[in-house]
Amino acid sequence: MDGADVHEMSIVSAMMNQLMTLAEQQQATRITAVELEVGRMQLVVPEALDMAWEALREGTVAAEATLTMTEVPVAANCRKCDERFEPDVDYSFMCPRCLEADIEIVSGNDIVLKSVTFETEERTDAE
Amino acid sequence: MKKINVVEKVLKANDTIAQENRRRMTVAGYLAINLMSAPGSGKTTLLEKTLPVLAPEYESVVLVGDLQTTRDAERLGDLAAEVTQINTGRGCHLEAQQVAEALNGLKLERGGFLFIENVGNMVCPAAFDLGEHLRVVLLSVPEGDDKVAKYPTLFQGADAILLTKVDLRGVLDFDMARVRDDLARINTRARLLEISSRSGDGMNQWFDWLREQHASRTAAGG
Repeated sequence: MDGADVHEMSIVSAMMNQLMTLAEQQQATRITAVELEVGRMQLVVPEALDMAWEALREGTVAAEATLTMTEVPVAANCRKCDERFEPDVDYSFMCPRCLEADIEIVSGNDIVLKSVTFETEERTDAE
Repeated sequence: MKKINVVEKVLKANDTIAQENRRRMTVAGYLAINLMSAPGSGKTTLLEKTLPVLAPEYESVVLVGDLQTTRDAERLGDLAAEVTQINTGRGCHLEAQQVAEALNGLKLERGGFLFIENVGNMVCPAAFDLGEHLRVVLLSVPEGDDKVAKYPTLFQGADAILLTKVDLRGVLDFDMARVRDDLARINTRARLLEISSRSGDGMNQWFDWLREQHASRTAAGG
């Protein structure tokens, strides 16, 4: 595998590995749709993700699949007062209750492959 | 047409390897530190000044990530027990697998510090756990006092923030209050140290911080 220009390339590359494993397990002949959840903390640029996707899906069973990306907001837990809140990650991680910025990210820190839609050989035959 | 719900983290493979790297380091008695910053903020120079001071007390091993060249490894070659250069080619960050492969080539017998000098970049490295125990983010005075506000997610995850090249504060307009104000809403947990590798200002605090962290983190593992 070639190096990556941006971290979106690494993300899509890891996702392609998951898709290929899945396609093999499910004996999929064609992947038609992929749903991805992207946590805001990952600073993914949708255009960069699309570019990486278009480059890496080529020649695979996912060559014509659509990629839908849903952004997941960040949720944080304050280590000082245990308040749960949704920080505006572009600006502040300050707890609205105790005004400290000492938090644990509890959501919005991951990129999750949600679902895959595909066709299998038998199904195609039946149609 | 069939749809299946997967719900699996895309970077799970990286995270699994990172956990294993962290476990290996903990067992071997090394405190792993991931150094992150923009290019040119003084990561390599900081290590040049830090390694000789730690040498009588701890063994240090260093992994340096760069797109190209072995220059950083050459600069640090005589100062650490072992230095491994990881060239990422076009890669903008290090990943756990690269660290795992580098660790395979190291002896790691005496315990001490593992410094991982990440690729100079303020966005991508933060997304990849390498198996470090601590994240240290550098910001140099010439970069400007607005960088904490501009890259909040990088600074949010830091265990220590080193303001480097503070000897240039008299020459450049750098508003320390602005940095403190930004950190007050972005990260109040991190230790903020103002240092200059060149003049030596604040360096003892950095060394003491490393010693404290080493003592508290490796004590549990014996």
